[in-house]
Amino acid sequence: MLGVAVLAFVLIHIAPGGPVAALVGDRGTPAQIAQVTHSLGLDKPLYEQFFAWLGALLHGDLGFSYVLQAPVTQLIAQRLPPTLLLMGFALLISIAIAIPLGVVQAARQRSRFDRIASLAVFVAWSMPTFWFGTLLIALFAVTLGWSPVGGLQTIDTTSFDWPSRLAHLILPAATLAIVSIAGWSRYVRGSMIEQLREDYARTAVAKGLGPSTILFKHVLRNALIPFITLLGSSLPGLFGGAVITESIFAYPGMGQLFWQAALDRDYAVLLGMTVITGVLVVLGNLLADLAYGIVDPRVRYE
Amino acid sequence: MNNPDDEVTARPRLKFTSIAWTGCVWIGFAIVACALAPLAFHLSATSTDVANAYASPSFAHWLGTDGLGRDELARLLIGGRITLSVGAIAAAVAMLIGTAYGAIAGYYGGVVDAIMMRLVDVFLSVPTLFLLLFLAAMFHGSLIALMLVIGATAWLGPARLVRGEVLSLKERLFVEAARSVGASDARIIFRHVVPNAGGTIITTTTFMVATAMLSETALSFLGIGVRAPMPSWGNLLSSAQSDLFAGAWWLIVPPGLAILATVCAFNFLGDWLREGRDTGVAGT
Repeated sequence: MLGVAVLAFVLIHIAPGGPVAALVGDRGTPAQIAQVTHSLGLDKPLYEQFFAWLGALLHGDLGFSYVLQAPVTQLIAQRLPPTLLLMGFALLISIAIAIPLGVVQAARQRSRFDRIASLAVFVAWSMPTFWFGTLLIALFAVTLGWSPVGGLQTIDTTSFDWPSRLAHLILPAATLAIVSIAGWSRYVRGSMIEQLREDYARTAVAKGLGPSTILFKHVLRNALIPFITLLGSSLPGLFGGAVITESIFAYPGMGQLFWQAALDRDYAVLLGMTVITGVLVVLGNLLADLAYGIVDPRVRYE
Repeated sequence: MNNPDDEVTARPRLKFTSIAWTGCVWIGFAIVACALAPLAFHLSATSTDVANAYASPSFAHWLGTDGLGRDELARLLIGGRITLSVGAIAAAVAMLIGTAYGAIAGYYGGVVDAIMMRLVDVFLSVPTLFLLLFLAAMFHGSLIALMLVIGATAWLGPARLVRGEVLSLKERLFVEAARSVGASDARIIFRHVVPNAGGTIITTTTFMVATAMLSETALSFLGIGVRAPMPSWGNLLSSAQSDLFAGAWWLIVPPGLAILATVCAFNFLGDWLREGRDTGVAGT
């Protein structure tokens, strides 16, 4: 976690432009620039700046965005919940489709269904998400008019409106989910096929258990153990995908904030968001490891 | 069959599956079309004709025109040059960094390996697209910079794969033989170990081209990749929202299909190479 903080800090500080340029503008005199630089503490040695920043970070202070004129913590606090909602929804869709698809493909290995599904999964895996999102808008929002084009919820409602929120969530979540559906169903398929060859699966067949009992009660549970780790490690990809998805659907979340900050070279926001995302990813992996212990009794944590 | 080398290394003879074949043909077609067609037909990707904006496909403009009256087919073909070359060169950059990094970490092992791979883990916990956006915004401008930026964010996967391969290769007899005749570490790594990891490297390169193309098109779509007026398959779609409401499907479907088909083709090829290699390893 400290590694992420150091990496982010170093990256930001080799960057041209920055808070001084943002504050002074293009027409600042050298004296003005020097004065602003001094007042922000940017003329101090780099390691001193780093420890000042790290100290503030540990107190929950991520700095101030001079472009958006707001504390970074506040900006992120505003943008994080919609993104987590979007990612959670996308995760649900992915799991709900990927696992059954993988299981059925493994059960009917080399059948026509398996071949067609494998091909479809391959195409989905190669899908440029921004194009897929655009096609979804073209079909469901513009042509059929079934769903809204973008945004968080209908504008005239100021209060939190669940039905409207959900309607605005379906297309972006589907866009975000397409790549993980492809990757995960492929993984579940492979993992299931491997497990079906194990002795215990053959024992279950020999005992005369029905195919669905074997598949879902015995084999799937074992096949899903490594899947949990995969789930944890796919978090960075989801955050990255959120940038594209949110920009297509004008969905005001973390991804859009990051994109805007990158265009504006708003380093305080970029730095703060990288750290927060890093922390969330590390937490996600930790959670996956703990879940691993619950699902697989052979794993024990001292 | 007559090549004696094949007998010695027991190289698996790959059966060219129809899907790998399709992939190859498509890639070949795309390269030839994008490289030659604009020359042959004197197409221009930048000459505007505002009076003729949003014209639907016709004999004069096979794929219609965009919001500024530019010929979409010309833009697609010339954009393909950019996207394909960015993909290829960025993949090469990623493979160069990743191979060197992974080979050094795997060869020396121990503390060096632990530290180097820890660093990779740190990079991997930051979303690649964040890193990509950040670097692209920082060095926004030239095409070369874009290739380097994409390459610099994509080397982590190759580094891990090459390291794994080198970890097992360095125990082999030929490494000891090289060492016994006094070859330096650098010579052993790059003249003996790395060429033996060639299969992994070629397979990974194929996947990397697909990944790099997706990165380029996504960045260009977001407006910080290839700069307009220079077309790329990604930034052809950056005005897709307004094209959508103009009803211009011919501006939205072809570039997306071009990206999808080409990325698919590279992934098919990579998958086929990997499967061929896996059975080969089991045979030796």
